Amino acid sequence: MSNPRQASSASQTPHLSPAELSYLYTSLSLPKGPIRPDGRSPTQFRPLTAETDILPGTNGSARIGFADGTQAIVGVKAEVEKTVLASDILQQDVENDLQAPSDRRDGAESTPSAAAGGHGSWVQMSIEIPGFRDDDALPVFLSEMMRESLVGSVTDAGKGRDTEMAGGLKGRLVINKRWHWRLYIDVLLLSQPLSYPLPLLSLTTHLALLSTKLPKLKSQGEEDPFFDDDWGVAEHLYPRPSPSASATSSQIRPPVTLLVISVGDNVIFDPNREEISVADAVLAISITRNSEGQGLKLLSIRTIDPPSRLTQPGVPNSENLSTMAATGNSDNAAAANPSAGQEEVPGVWRPRRGGIKRSVITELTRTVLKKGGVGEEVLEGLEGVEV
Amino acid sequence: MNDRRRVNGPPGGTRPPVFQSGLQSSNPSDRPRRQRQPAELRKIFLKTGLIPSASGSAYLEFEPSASLAANRSNPKSMIPPSSALKLTCTVHGPKPLPRSAAYSPNLVLTTHVKYAPFAARRRKGHVRDSSERDLGVHLETALRGAIIAERWPKSGLDITITILEAEDDRWWGEPPDSHDASWGIMNVLAGCITAASAAIADARIDCLDLVAGGVAAITEDVGASHSGSGRLMLDTDPAEHASILSACVVAYMPARDEITELWLKGDSSKAVLDDGDSRQGHDALIDGAVDAARGSYSVLSEAVKESILNAVAHA
Amino acid sequence: MATSLPSVAIPGQRLGSVAAYAAGPGTHIQQANIYASIAGPVVVDPAPPKTQSKSTLRVSRVIPAPSRGTLSGTSQKPRYNTLPAIDSIVLARVTRVQKRQATVSILVVLDESAANSDPSKSASDNDNVASILTSAANPENHSNTDELRFQALIRKEDVRAVEKDRVVMDEMFRVGDIVRGSVISLGDQSFYYLTTARNDLGVVMARSDAGNMMFPASWKEMRDPVTGVGEPRKVARPF
Repeated sequence: MSNPRQASSASQTPHLSPAELSYLYTSLSLPKGPIRPDGRSPTQFRPLTAETDILPGTNGSARIGFADGTQAIVGVKAEVEKTVLASDILQQDVENDLQAPSDRRDGAESTPSAAAGGHGSWVQMSIEIPGFRDDDALPVFLSEMMRESLVGSVTDAGKGRDTEMAGGLKGRLVINKRWHWRLYIDVLLLSQPLSYPLPLLSLTTHLALLSTKLPKLKSQGEEDPFFDDDWGVAEHLYPRPSPSASATSSQIRPPVTLLVISVGDNVIFDPNREEISVADAVLAISITRNSEGQGLKLLSIRTIDPPSRLTQPGVPNSENLSTMAATGNSDNAAAANPSAGQEEVPGVWRPRRGGIKRSVITELTRTVLKKGGVGEEVLEGLEGVEV
Repeated sequence: MNDRRRVNGPPGGTRPPVFQSGLQSSNPSDRPRRQRQPAELRKIFLKTGLIPSASGSAYLEFEPSASLAANRSNPKSMIPPSSALKLTCTVHGPKPLPRSAAYSPNLVLTTHVKYAPFAARRRKGHVRDSSERDLGVHLETALRGAIIAERWPKSGLDITITILEAEDDRWWGEPPDSHDASWGIMNVLAGCITAASAAIADARIDCLDLVAGGVAAITEDVGASHSGSGRLMLDTDPAEHASILSACVVAYMPARDEITELWLKGDSSKAVLDDGDSRQGHDALIDGAVDAARGSYSVLSEAVKESILNAVAHA
Repeated sequence: MATSLPSVAIPGQRLGSVAAYAAGPGTHIQQANIYASIAGPVVVDPAPPKTQSKSTLRVSRVIPAPSRGTLSGTSQKPRYNTLPAIDSIVLARVTRVQKRQATVSILVVLDESAANSDPSKSASDNDNVASILTSAANPENHSNTDELRFQALIRKEDVRAVEKDRVVMDEMFRVGDIVRGSVISLGDQSFYYLTTARNDLGVVMARSDAGNMMFPASWKEMRDPVTGVGEPRKVARPF
């Protein structure tokens, strides 16, 4: 393991030789569809085992294990916190002391106040990855990426059947004007990641949030909150559809973040470590179900630094000093000098340079979002998990 | 993310003062309004080579909005109508890697983005918080795609950005907790990318192309009561819009027509595009951000060219 | 190529096609075109007349000074880092002498084009070599700036070409000497490897025990002009 402080977002430095990288790249970029090292189809995910509600001390928990042995455990804990809001406090003062005219009150309510809409900082996410400090780039980047889509997924207010989820996750955490839930999502990766851990963490977090229950509120109105200790009547954080509602898919679910790479013209999902190390581009795409209807909604896209940029280049035979016998005079040395940019030689690995073409991004998002595409497939698979 | 080296007291629990005018939000006339066309960008000031001890440096400033300029010359309220971005970027290196580091055949890039404590409405601590670290990762991704790293084996390049004045997430006249989506950070990132590219060019580090940052957003304005009226705007100043539904920042290399960094968040499905425009919301958003980046590229290339012409003239 | 070359280029600017030119330093090739990769003046190095090769297009890292001669010594020219590469000639200061090797820290990488061509019209980094050396040879400046310099090793067997087995490192280098060496390898994670096994390589500046700047007396001795005492060194042949 190289110095983790140097390791950037995507860089588990690949331990493959230039020849292996070149072979892998060629087989993944075949125009008639990639040949993946483990024989999966481009959109196929690695097999995994999942279970939920494994930790009694949490409000919700889940465990997912990949076949390669990497496992992630997510525990969600909810704690009650006093809402400290400048606007709120002052507004109360104004009301009490001045008997504020009603129009002022209406005006204040018409602004989207945090007491009603919730606050993104109420969701706190921490990711523990062995071998990384919690302020290293990788855990910080991952937790920001997943938190962003969690708090960002606001469903349409008023139109949805579930008014509880009107404000999205943030709104759900509001207890009353002075109290709210603070949600701690703690992600534990049990071993050093063998591949970029994003899909594993995202799926586990998704299941843990689905299984999360909040105790039933007994107090009323603006009282200090107290709760029913009967776990049986506790409410799900993401409410289940009532039995009267027919379609199960109408349930609001947490977002999922997918890892997609492009190699040549091919789009490949859930790459393993070897595949990601030759990727031209790596994108993390967060999606969720549209609140009405069947469509998918895009929540966020982030590029991830492909580790292929940090690989060691191969040396073409024409420039290999050791195969050119002892004629290594100054001319040949100049030819091998990397400061003179050479042309790409087929079959010789060069670290990837540059960025993503615009059309590739469109293709990647289209593959995720299209009807019957990979996004729907993944969400359907997750809906099959018994929660 | 805590400071691990010191024992800190509990956080102070302070907050910026709340003004009465902020609570009486029924007078939206004070709210700054966008006076630019949807596709019109703010002017950018960019100059390289201002820090002699660094191997490369750049200073970037966004033109203050019209209302901000008016307020500065004739202040009526303590609440600035909007904010303008000011940041400096320094590049140190190429220099040897620390002894503990492993052999690297490529240039090892380290990016460090820090808000000055006074940069934003809420004071920032001296220890980088998670959003600043996150910005650093975004910037690193944007730059690594542009740098020809294999020309600088065994060496490291430190890029440090100090944000002197940050783009805010919303209008200061609104209550500080009214909504919390951090849209200003995306403008900051775009500025960081443009400035860092200029500083790298100033340090004569081999690059494929200059890389420019651009922002586009889908906004809903005050008057629009019904939802589903998102309009696509380039180079949005968050203070000028009642609500931003979705925003996107790209780092774009015009000569290669490639994107090295893309960060899109929010709900882009409600964008209302021109008739006959069949693009989906997010595609339009990315295209808009690329257009904005093309605009800042023109400033960037002029600044780099100007610095090299100055150097030739004074040699 | 009909298009004329710009006088200065910025990164990403297209300069010409590979059919017309060969790509030199400061450029890169993309889809059979040469693009600038740094900002600077565009220089065409004509190909040697007898060969078939194309003339080389490069973007210079340094700004040419048009009016030599009138240039005053005070004019501060920005110095751009050039990285040590294999075969580049460097000047380095000895920081540690051990039985099997000497550790040096690289002060400056000499511009090859200037080193090979006529030194009188060298428009390169070498201008401020003198100032670097004088400041580096000063004991007060032996501060911790070594952290910021590239470290290199001269192994015992790379010190000289003859009598390799009789080399005693203490009689070749002393801490503080300025050495001209040639890079033989990028080495491991921390050190480059240098050689001084050529006549023109070795110690170029040194102070005696008494603290005076010494002059070369022979290929293995330098002498203090004040005290007249000689000290052993692996001396570089003076120009």
